[in-house]
Amino acid sequence: MSPRIRVALLALSGLILLPCAASVIAGLPAFGSKIALYGARINAITPEARHVANMVSAINFDLRGLDTLGEEFMLLAAITGTVVLLRGHRGEGLTGRAMRRPGRAVIPRSEATVLACRIAGPLTCLFGLYVVLHATVTPGGGFQGGVILASGTLLIYLGEGYSGWRDAIHSHWLDALEGGGALVFALCGLVPMLTGAAFMQNILPLGTLRDLFSGGLMLVENLGVAMAVTGGFTQLFLEFMEETRQAEEPDEPGEESA
Amino acid sequence: MSAATNVLPYAVAAWLFGIGLYGIATSRNFIHLVGCLGVCQSATYVLLLGLGYRWGSIAPIFYDHPPGTPAVDPVMQALVLTDIVVGATLTALLLVLTVQAYKRGGSLNPEKLRPMRAGGKSGQSQGSSQVSDGGRQAS
Amino acid sequence: MSVILPLLFLLTAISGSAVVLVRDPVRQVFAIAINGLVLTILFDALQAPDVALSELAVGSAAVPLLFLVALMAVRTQPPGAES
Repeated sequence: MSPRIRVALLALSGLILLPCAASVIAGLPAFGSKIALYGARINAITPEARHVANMVSAINFDLRGLDTLGEEFMLLAAITGTVVLLRGHRGEGLTGRAMRRPGRAVIPRSEATVLACRIAGPLTCLFGLYVVLHATVTPGGGFQGGVILASGTLLIYLGEGYSGWRDAIHSHWLDALEGGGALVFALCGLVPMLTGAAFMQNILPLGTLRDLFSGGLMLVENLGVAMAVTGGFTQLFLEFMEETRQAEEPDEPGEESA
Repeated sequence: MSAATNVLPYAVAAWLFGIGLYGIATSRNFIHLVGCLGVCQSATYVLLLGLGYRWGSIAPIFYDHPPGTPAVDPVMQALVLTDIVVGATLTALLLVLTVQAYKRGGSLNPEKLRPMRAGGKSGQSQGSSQVSDGGRQAS
Repeated sequence: MSVILPLLFLLTAISGSAVVLVRDPVRQVFAIAINGLVLTILFDALQAPDVALSELAVGSAAVPLLFLVALMAVRTQPPGAES
């Protein structure tokens, strides 16, 4: 199909769908006028029922916890697929040559960069931990905090170079972290069943509203999500960086183009 | 002004989705195509959060405000929140598939990518097709 | 407030279009990062701080980095049959 025909086909289908979209938009409630009843009920009931200040975390980890379990395994599946595709033919050597093109001059890191990364790296990780731990109190939670923690490890790469990064971060730990997080979340669903409660029923003491330790089982689930997201994203960064390193080893011809 | 404001978020969501599709249809580069797919994704975020907003409401976090203060819809936010994080890993998966397609087909242009067949391959060196045969039989 | 939100929506439409219309993938990475930043501001204005935090970390840091590394991986490979 030539590009011209394809664009024409797209324009045609767009023209057909435009009246449908317009009628749907006209049927929607005006922006900012009202919210759905389900959300309004959750806002009204949940602070008393679950002793949690952050409604979004309450929905993710308690009210719709089963959905988050599904999301968790989607995350696991996507990252497993990425790793399986990438980790094919290369070894585990630790040469410090990732992200570098053969013809380009190598500019050494300035001391200011190293200093800034050594200061900002721990601070970023600290902030990520803060976001993870305060999931039920202030904005934050395992998903956001996990990504922040994973990008904090990137500052190690920026400051210490690739070989330093590989020394600090081990792929097996990340596998364990990622799978362990998903396991913790699944166990949070199954363990209540041992006590006779329903799947993922909140059996731990709920704590007090606005306290760090409020929400009971939500805290454990949040920790599981944080572990899985941190491990998963760091694993992604690691495998992507490895991918750029591969072509510069001329040992086995034909290896890099497979 | 008011009538336009009432439908603006939904119109913006539809526009983002449409231009993302346009980008996908006309893209000459797989990496560019994945970026256009991200624009389509962001259309759903805008739509969901636009549906959940209410004028004069607070965020659904009752830390500074007592419970019972009118707040925006937390269900939409929970949906979008997980979607963003899981969507990023899917973007990574698509990028990896792109890199693999480049290695096997030798081009990032969707026009030039030929269907993969078990036996022959157009214009690749002999060694690479032998190596990739092993992977194909395993799959 | 009633002026800021429509302006932010329009800005989102513009930055999203920019991501599509910038055809060079290397320049598109910057457009993606800016789009992530604009979406972050919009979500914050829509009273969704959780989502804004997530979009900030993902949309303006993690995803552009993945794009950059993918571009790098493509460039360091020997070019294929004919481009």
